Amino acid sequence: MSIMDHNGGSVIAMVGKDCVAIASDLRLGNQALGISSNFQRIFPVTDRIYLGLPGLATDVATLHERLRFRLNMYTIKEEREIEPETFAHLVSSTLYEHRFGPYFIEPVMAGMSKTPSGGLKPFIAATDLIGCLNFAKDFVVAGTASSKLYGVAEGLWEPDLEPEDLFETISQTLMNAVDRDAFSGWGGIVHVITKDKVITRTLKARMD
Amino acid sequence: MAADTTAARSIVKMKVDEDKIKTLSPHLLMAYSGEPGDTVQFAEYVERNIRLYQIRNLYALRPSAAASWIRRSLAESLRSRRPYSVNLLLGGYDTATHDPHLYWIDYLGTISEVPFAAHGYGSYFALSLLDRGPLEEGLATLKRCIDEVSKRLVVSPGNYKIKVVDKDGVREVEL
Amino acid sequence: MNSFVERYSTTSATGQLRRAQRLADEEDEFSDAAWGSSAGFGNIVKGSPSFMVPNTPDPTSFLRLHTDDHADPSCRIKIQHGTTTLAFRFQGGVIVAVDSRATAGSYIASGTVKKVIEINPYLLGTMAGGAADCQYWETYLGMHCRLHELRNRERISVSAASKYLSNLVYSYKGMGLSMGTMVCGWDKTGPAVFYVDSDGTRLKGDIFSVGSGSTFAYGVLDQGYRWDLTDEEAQELGRRSIYAAGHRDAYSGNTCNLYHVKEDGWKFIGNYDLAQLHNQGYGYEHRVEGRSSANPPEVVATA
Repeated sequence: MSIMDHNGGSVIAMVGKDCVAIASDLRLGNQALGISSNFQRIFPVTDRIYLGLPGLATDVATLHERLRFRLNMYTIKEEREIEPETFAHLVSSTLYEHRFGPYFIEPVMAGMSKTPSGGLKPFIAATDLIGCLNFAKDFVVAGTASSKLYGVAEGLWEPDLEPEDLFETISQTLMNAVDRDAFSGWGGIVHVITKDKVITRTLKARMD
Repeated sequence: MAADTTAARSIVKMKVDEDKIKTLSPHLLMAYSGEPGDTVQFAEYVERNIRLYQIRNLYALRPSAAASWIRRSLAESLRSRRPYSVNLLLGGYDTATHDPHLYWIDYLGTISEVPFAAHGYGSYFALSLLDRGPLEEGLATLKRCIDEVSKRLVVSPGNYKIKVVDKDGVREVEL
Repeated sequence: MNSFVERYSTTSATGQLRRAQRLADEEDEFSDAAWGSSAGFGNIVKGSPSFMVPNTPDPTSFLRLHTDDHADPSCRIKIQHGTTTLAFRFQGGVIVAVDSRATAGSYIASGTVKKVIEINPYLLGTMAGGAADCQYWETYLGMHCRLHELRNRERISVSAASKYLSNLVYSYKGMGLSMGTMVCGWDKTGPAVFYVDSDGTRLKGDIFSVGSGSTFAYGVLDQGYRWDLTDEEAQELGRRSIYAAGHRDAYSGNTCNLYHVKEDGWKFIGNYDLAQLHNQGYGYEHRVEGRSSANPPEVVATA
């Protein structure tokens, strides 16, 4: 079994109309054995950027600590909040620094980025475990249920969803995909990021 | 009022009277298992560093802070030339918020705060019992787990040492 | 050198086996298109079943090489694993409870698998390991139980039926059969449970659980078990044990199928969705809802 499947867990992010959503399951496992049903793998980066870290759980914590450090250094030096695109490159280069002994994480990012005219537009991105960036315009997935998430998201996602509809779409996608994955599930969490606020909801899921 | 999260835990003894639960500070316990040699080495390393912190700062690390520090030590060791293979359960009573905490930590540096936990083969028998156990009687549930492991596990350990940490500090109990 | 000689010699054991196979191939009655003909019983109706074996000098080690996925996860023939099944004997008969999940790697291929095989109205078999192996051999066992009934004018005992199955799978030992099953029923001696697996092990006992989630089921089962359980208590215990395994084990779950065997044969009690059981009070977080484990010292009254 792959080291990426050791702890299980999946993350998905989707673009909506002037909003983005990011969601993950809450399972922490040790191979087939479930350890915790409250393992957070999505972290707020700024008020409008969220980062999901599916993969090996020890690296979830390590990479989170490391990125938080680099982000704080950036914020202090630049004296401004980081933009999602910049943050994506920060994540990418952090991962590539470990090209020959990687962190076993495939990060997923979701956020609202500033446009030149001063507005905000949705942004999502994902990378592989050594930092190859993938800027998608619809949705990105990662984790043990990624192949199942692709299938469901491909069927459910449509352009320009309002925040509430996007929440419903991403929740249904997540729940139905993880119910077909042995290593994901045990509850879920969804963050919908809009222009002025973030809506966080936990999902009640199958616990088997 | 102690609920089921009162960090009373037990661990296998390889020697008849080996104590595998270290008292790290007045309100912090750490049970360890894993590769012989690594376990004691790592536990003593942790013990002394936590003690050092206490001497320097005149107060002990809180359970969450201690857990983070221990996790980090393991995570750094994982990518070193010779990693420690030690699995831990860290239980403590936070004297500032009056909350008990229990952390499940494995040799990779995976950490999770849980209401109850177990490591090793025994966990496959004990966890389903803990999921079901009555909420008030922590020690009675623990006894059932030990009984079950003795009954079903091929290489079941003979004796157990049980320690409890609560607002009054650490004490050893007999079942 | 030895294997080379064996391959081409006409007098060695394998040489004779090969010749027998060639003869069998030529004989029309032994066509390999048996499924669909002979009323779906394939070559079973010809008496003792015969199977094609790999045409290698040592078919046993060939099969072991390609089916043993513990030693080599990338082997060619993958056998379905991951299950929780249990059966126990008590004052009121036998309780048989199983989950319904089928996994292929991390993919949950089905959540509605029937892992209890109804051999006849008095006999049940459970399914763990290779799905096809269990299904095929237990159906085959059912046929022979019926023949036994016709020949001897009495029902086969659970002991005899399980022995029959055990001998059968033992003759294929090392060829990659994978099954761990409980044969449960009621005969002249009362309720009986036998554990039979493809190693050839056959055990009589009161409590058995088989599969990747069996340890979790044992945990709940052992601690809740008494001989004098009432019917309702026993059914609840079976259900609760499968729930526990479904909760903790990634390879078990979805639903629980519950059977109760009594003197007058088995009865299907029900199919329970584990998610519903969880929300109806089995789940830990539902039981701790609104409780706190905080333990503050008593507040000293202030003036």
